[in-house]
Amino acid sequence: MESFLTGIILFILTASLMVYFTLKDRKNSKKVVKLSLKIFFKNSIRMFSIFIIIGILQSFLSKENVSHFLLRFSGIKGILTGIFFGGIMMGPVATGYPIAAYILKNGGSISLVSAFLTSWVFIGIISISMEFRFLGKRFALLRNLFSIITIILISIIMEIIL
Amino acid sequence: MKEIVKDYIVEIIIGIIACILMIININKVYSGLIFALKMYFNLFLVIISIAFINGIISVFVPKNTISKILGNESGIKGIFFGSIFGTLMIGPAYVFYPLFSELVLKGASLGVIATTIFAWGIKLQWVPFGGAILGWKFIIFLNLLIFFFAIISGLIFNKIWDSHAST
Repeated sequence: MESFLTGIILFILTASLMVYFTLKDRKNSKKVVKLSLKIFFKNSIRMFSIFIIIGILQSFLSKENVSHFLLRFSGIKGILTGIFFGGIMMGPVATGYPIAAYILKNGGSISLVSAFLTSWVFIGIISISMEFRFLGKRFALLRNLFSIITIILISIIMEIIL
Repeated sequence: MKEIVKDYIVEIIIGIIACILMIININKVYSGLIFALKMYFNLFLVIISIAFINGIISVFVPKNTISKILGNESGIKGIFFGSIFGTLMIGPAYVFYPLFSELVLKGASLGVIATTIFAWGIKLQWVPFGGAILGWKFIIFLNLLIFFFAIISGLIFNKIWDSHAST
């Protein structure tokens, strides 16, 4: 629902910009429409294929199985497992909060839960192909490597302060 | 044909994986497809808006305007702008990657883009829900740390690309 609202706001903003630029420069605005439609079709194919794999993965990975599995790990192994599973999970991070709450209630460590939730928002094993394509291999690899280091640091700090 | 395959290699692999999974469990793949359709329609306005913003930036916005606001010369201001933008945004960050790509082509620094993507991890709209089920202390500290590391990442990325450019 939030994404739909963001879409409406963005769409109104974009439509206003298009009206403004069409009034200002009709010839170049036609160029914008042609170029944008081309970008839209290309992006739609790419996004939709990512959505398919997210959907299939979600139906194969149940929340119960993930939380039971994660509870087996602690310490640095817990952090690394949390990073891996957080990276696989897609969709709104709020759907991960009940999993995290279950793990905490059943004696799981703060560092594991922090790693799991931070990895969920920092790393997208499935969306990494988009990052490679649009932002380049070097950036994507460095950003994801930096994410792993950051997640480990955040998890350790969270374990110490809470 | 070769170019199409090269351009859409990831999508083709995903299609093959979906076909294999269909043999294992067709119901789960079907519910995955329904999920994908719902997600696409939910994000349709975002995807089409991003395409048009890309087009507008590409045709109308001069390169030096973007580099002034988001480029290396913008310094900490650009990184701060990226962190606020990322914090306030809703929805998956990867939907915005085509826009980030266009901004980089027009002169935005990769440090600002890295900061934006990291700050995107702060989900302000979910903070009350997270606070209620995970505890306020947990959720506030986690988001503060994400914000802090988002800014650090931007500074580090700018340094890396600066040194890369100068060599």
